[in-house]
Amino acid sequence: MEFFERLKDYCSILAPSGMEKPMRKRIIEDIKDSGAEWRVDPNGNLIVFKKGRARRDKKLVVAAHMDEVGFMASYIDEEGYVRIENVGGIDRRVVSGRRIMFCGSNLVGVVASKAIHIQTKEEIGKCEPINEMRVDIGCYDRESAEKRVRIGDCATFCPNYEEFGNGLIKSKAIDDRFGCAVMVELINSDLEYDTYFAFDTCEEIGCDGAKEVCYQLNPDIAVILESTTAGDICGTPAEKAACTVHGGAVISHMDNSTVYDKELVKLAMELGKEKGIPCQLKNTVAGGNEARAYQREACGARVLAISAPTRYIHSACSVAAKEDLTAVAAMTKTIIERKF
Amino acid sequence: MDRIYEIAKELTAIPGVSGDESRSFPYLEKTLAGKFDDFGFTPVGSYFGIRKSKKKNAKTVLFDAHLDTIGFIVTKICDGGFLKVMMVGRTAEKNLSASEVWIYGKRTIPGVFASKPPHLQEPGESEKKLSIDDLSIDTGLSKEELEEIVRVGTFVGFKADCEKLSDNVIVSPSFDDRICAACILRALELVEGEDIGVNAAFQFSAGEETGYKGAMTTAYRIAPDYAIVLDVCNAYVPGAREARKAVQIGKGCSLSYSAQTNRELTEFTRTLAEKNGIALQFLAEPGATGTNSNVIQTGHGGVPTVLLSIPLKNMHTANEVADLRDCEETAKLLAEFLRSIGSYQGVEE
Repeated sequence: MEFFERLKDYCSILAPSGMEKPMRKRIIEDIKDSGAEWRVDPNGNLIVFKKGRARRDKKLVVAAHMDEVGFMASYIDEEGYVRIENVGGIDRRVVSGRRIMFCGSNLVGVVASKAIHIQTKEEIGKCEPINEMRVDIGCYDRESAEKRVRIGDCATFCPNYEEFGNGLIKSKAIDDRFGCAVMVELINSDLEYDTYFAFDTCEEIGCDGAKEVCYQLNPDIAVILESTTAGDICGTPAEKAACTVHGGAVISHMDNSTVYDKELVKLAMELGKEKGIPCQLKNTVAGGNEARAYQREACGARVLAISAPTRYIHSACSVAAKEDLTAVAAMTKTIIERKF
Repeated sequence: MDRIYEIAKELTAIPGVSGDESRSFPYLEKTLAGKFDDFGFTPVGSYFGIRKSKKKNAKTVLFDAHLDTIGFIVTKICDGGFLKVMMVGRTAEKNLSASEVWIYGKRTIPGVFASKPPHLQEPGESEKKLSIDDLSIDTGLSKEELEEIVRVGTFVGFKADCEKLSDNVIVSPSFDDRICAACILRALELVEGEDIGVNAAFQFSAGEETGYKGAMTTAYRIAPDYAIVLDVCNAYVPGAREARKAVQIGKGCSLSYSAQTNRELTEFTRTLAEKNGIALQFLAEPGATGTNSNVIQTGHGGVPTVLLSIPLKNMHTANEVADLRDCEETAKLLAEFLRSIGSYQGVEE
């Protein structure tokens, strides 16, 4: 299956933190003929071992998370609206006025927004907190709404994968479905060395899955595949962009939760140059990912993050360049071809 | 109701930001051909049709809905392939971050309103007011590529489908006022082939959101004896003033009382609905109604005009929500109006 076809499928699956099952099932389906061994741990993490042509002295794991940001129904009110809490960090401004889809039922709900004509002067331009927003599911009272949505049900932004612009894609959940897609490709290929692959749960609410997996594997080296915020939008000075779309795979030396392994960062940048893989160093200390868990759990691993520069992550419409995703895949392959 | 939904889906799929209404002409030409004696577009971009009665000196009834929608217009093409825009009509700017749009340039391309990443925001910034000037549209193209497709003045509209939220409740970015156009087309289907004794005319007016130009000029051409303007109105939503509970979605179409509509014809319409068991709600709008009724009522020496509105939630956003049952009832009422207007007595002396 072509990489971007697979990515489209993955991005279109509804799987917020704690609800990764449909994503896990699909991945298992996609790797079942690869010859890899796999197991699902008690909290739903999917751990894969793929034998290479040779053993590696060090234990290396490549990790990506299956979950995405989303919402959970917290209350059904008398007028039939669903009240929500966010699952993972979401800016209230990207929620206001969006459509969301409920997991399992695929019901669509609209985040209500009072018409501009009936807003008070104070309300104009301002978004209420997510937990004060109302989701309209087309019901008129609590009784009928409760037949469609229950407290605890989860939702995500609506599937909307599409190619656009100059070799870009836009979709919900590029974070981190592209990481999953890259790993699935690698698992289905012949590898030089034995490698573990971890499809983690619950990254968006605090890297819970990664903590569990790290304890189980106790790896020496962890390579994290992620989406990272590209701030290269209209009006941002270059030094504050963090990274740029079309700029290649992003190698972080430091973010809000991790200082990365210096040698691995150096190695990645050198390999990029040597093999002609476009890559860039993240120029701002911002964001964070599962590296923090792999660095701190069990005996602690040396960590490297290879990220896709992505605009508007954690929104209904994140944007990434196909060539950057290809660069991340190439860089990952190059790294795991080393013996260490 | 399936039929109205079908028409609404087709009509809302066609863009038409105020000033760019002609995009629906080919659809209208195709669907209406053979069903009207006189039809076509006008110099300002409205579309109209008249079905003539065989009766001599038959009166003419005009149904009006506006063809234009709100949207945006490009004001600047920026480095990195971003566009700055202004609003055409007014939307709630707070909803725009990371929302999707169509850009109607030389070819139609998709775009995304940029949203500022967390690391570039000041603490508490997301709680502050957001205005269109803070935003830009990401096209994913370079400035040079973009300049080949888009220029200052290119229209931009919401990119979102018309779909169902539940059996009866539907959502689309352009129900204002395409849902009313759908009601009118449905009503005219309901009386097709019937000898109703009046000329039945409709106009889909250009430029309502930007000053009623299409309604004035097209009604002048049609010269109706009576008119019903169909627009949308803000339905009650939680958090709105108590008095707004007067009009809610799912409880029928709304009939306006206003000094800018004709009281006698309004009462006639109300009685007609009651007689036929058609659900109605009532809206008090003493002065200007903010619809085409203003200009149609006073045009051509004065045309008795009624204002009916489909209740809508989230008006002027990408998610305008309406109830199909209200639309169905409205179409029925319009059809009854055509059948019964012959008995209208007019204003008492």
